[in-house]
Amino acid sequence: MKVVIIGGGWSGCAAAVSSKKAGADVIIIEKTDLLLGLGNVGGIMRNNGRYTASEELIALGSGDLIEITDRVAVHTNIDFPGHKHATLYNVNMIEGEVYKYLKSLNINIMMESRVNDINFDGQKIKGAYLSDGTYIEGDVFIETTGTTGPMGNCLRYGNGCSMCVLRCPSFGPRISISERCGVSDIQGERGDDILGAFSGSCKLAKESLSNEIKDELDSKGVVILKVPKEDINYDKLDTKVCQQYALKEFAENIILLDTGHAKLMTTYYPLHKLRKIKGLEYAKYIDPYAGSKGNSIRYLSVAPRTNDLKVTGVDNLFCAGEKSGLFVGHTEAICTGTLAGHNSVRLAMGMPLLILPSSIAIGDLITYANEKARTREGRKDRYTFAGSVYFKRMQELNLYTTDIAEIKAKIKKFNLDNIFSQKLC
Amino acid sequence: MIKEAIDCIDAGTEYCPCKLAEHGQCLICSQCQGKVFCDCLNWKGVCIYQELYNNASRAKDGRKTYNCIVTEVVNYENSLIIIKFKALHKLVLDLVKPGSYIFIRTDENTYFDIPISIMNSDIENDIITIAVEIRGIKTNKLLTIKTDGNIVIRGPYWNGVFGIKNILDQKDNKALVLARGIGLAPMMPVIRKLILQNNKVQVAIDKSPFEMNLASGLLNEYNVSIVENSLFDNGTLSDHAKVIIKDSLKEGVNYIHIAGADILTYSVINYLNDINRNDISLSCCNNFKMCCGEGICGACTSRFSGHRVKRFCKEQADPRIIFEGRRFI
Repeated sequence: MKVVIIGGGWSGCAAAVSSKKAGADVIIIEKTDLLLGLGNVGGIMRNNGRYTASEELIALGSGDLIEITDRVAVHTNIDFPGHKHATLYNVNMIEGEVYKYLKSLNINIMMESRVNDINFDGQKIKGAYLSDGTYIEGDVFIETTGTTGPMGNCLRYGNGCSMCVLRCPSFGPRISISERCGVSDIQGERGDDILGAFSGSCKLAKESLSNEIKDELDSKGVVILKVPKEDINYDKLDTKVCQQYALKEFAENIILLDTGHAKLMTTYYPLHKLRKIKGLEYAKYIDPYAGSKGNSIRYLSVAPRTNDLKVTGVDNLFCAGEKSGLFVGHTEAICTGTLAGHNSVRLAMGMPLLILPSSIAIGDLITYANEKARTREGRKDRYTFAGSVYFKRMQELNLYTTDIAEIKAKIKKFNLDNIFSQKLC
Repeated sequence: MIKEAIDCIDAGTEYCPCKLAEHGQCLICSQCQGKVFCDCLNWKGVCIYQELYNNASRAKDGRKTYNCIVTEVVNYENSLIIIKFKALHKLVLDLVKPGSYIFIRTDENTYFDIPISIMNSDIENDIITIAVEIRGIKTNKLLTIKTDGNIVIRGPYWNGVFGIKNILDQKDNKALVLARGIGLAPMMPVIRKLILQNNKVQVAIDKSPFEMNLASGLLNEYNVSIVENSLFDNGTLSDHAKVIIKDSLKEGVNYIHIAGADILTYSVINYLNDINRNDISLSCCNNFKMCCGEGICGACTSRFSGHRVKRFCKEQADPRIIFEGRRFI
């Protein structure tokens, strides 16, 4: 039984781990030279409701990747505006650790291999074509290609290619596998009828910051600097993916988080303006390289799917991560990836697919985001355990807790404990 | 599984984006086909939409016209002339690859433009060699060309050979070239490339309708084995040709270049089909009528099943695709 995962970001890696644990032969096809995609420039875990989701994953038997992000954390339990008890993983270490772990599970990883079409017979995907002409067959396919880029999209809906970590100009463009099957993608929207949204943060080289800022980042993990009055731009918050960080504080202040680099919590910021701020006189972008001008554009190709993460209209295709909804964040990607990977094996074995109940945070997020994506208003929101509309909902529905024992008991009550570590074939 | 992705010979070159992209008809880029999302099925290393945007949404300047001085003309009884002329170094470099061609004329009237394949592009002396079979009004006009005279050329164009990908894939391999008539001229850059890529090349030449082997001088520079034979008899592949193909396949050849008329290419494809050797990779001459070379005039178009129109001045394809599902409209 062969599961082919297209895209090696956080959700692809999570799908690989869960489908492998369920007993499949797994292959990941990744177009760049790094796994984790945007996870290489992210780093924020366990803030607000993500804490609950992380612990739910562990209780469900799929905490493998969460354990790695915990292990390579540079800061734990830190607070910054609107966010509590965050863990920041070291973006410079994480990819190597995840790669090593996936290899140890005997997952076949094809790096620098780009899918550029599929062989679809109208119902099932038979195989995937790589740009070098290789043909890869599989029983079940999982699309975790994300919704970011490529250049044409970043240009039409943003400010052009800003040279982000996905490096499309070097490794080539993403294509939408579901769209190739004739299933129309859903697009996220922002304000005035524009599609897509900007990625919500940049990375500055820590070495380019003043010693005071560096020291504060090293010791506290967070630095907050005032934006000069004339440069405050509230409008920019509307264009942002990460609505959990689209707070007033994030427009009035420069918020830096220490994830190995200094994570700048804004979509993009002209360097000459940034350098007006004390301590940032020598600041330099390392992701996206052209952070002065723009950032990557996301949410242009979300696949319609059911709550078991199967793509509607294709018999053997699952989706996860941003491809499966207007989600933000690594935790969300790992959660959806894990479910998609597990269900891919169930599908191949002819077993009923697993839908997580709405009484746990992960199940509720997957169901809620799906409902919301059907309405125009819903497509303007983003869904994350970490803030904005969904974290509010978590609190209202009592889904948010940091009590690990309570989470464990709840998962056990539903007979879901360690379900993702069961071998199915 | 073999999948044929649409490929454009000009994509990513200094002439891309062209007028097709400007007018929403790009062969490759979905965003330049009037769509609003990327669906990039054959990435050629640059974002065509971005190039178009950065060029104020206009096509790049097309090919330029140059006046060149003729250095040598050899006339073979008014049925064939071989012309050598001096050109800019950049143009000579651009015309080295297999499939390169130019438009030439001696008249001021652009209607006299003739598409002619490059026979040899000498980068050391900046001399280009072409061979022209004298047939109609345009080629007849070329008979007036004199040494030290002027000719007007437009170029560079590149889609003179189909299956370029297959040529580039041949490394340390054994190759067979079947060439007939004026096809010997565009065969030369292909052989040059095959030799550069360390292939062992066997060439079967059918001189007709000419009396002599017009490529013998150039062929002598390469270490290739040459046999001269009739390849074509009364509209079908000759027995000689069949034997040559069969023998070379036995010796391990798995790639054939066919430099001749479409009917020769078609016969070879059918013969390989008959002997169950569809695994043999192929390249051949692009014999479509070229007029503007820029995807605009439509002279080179052909229709295929599924209401597809292909513009063969730009579209690269595998030789087998050229004849498959072709509609006679």
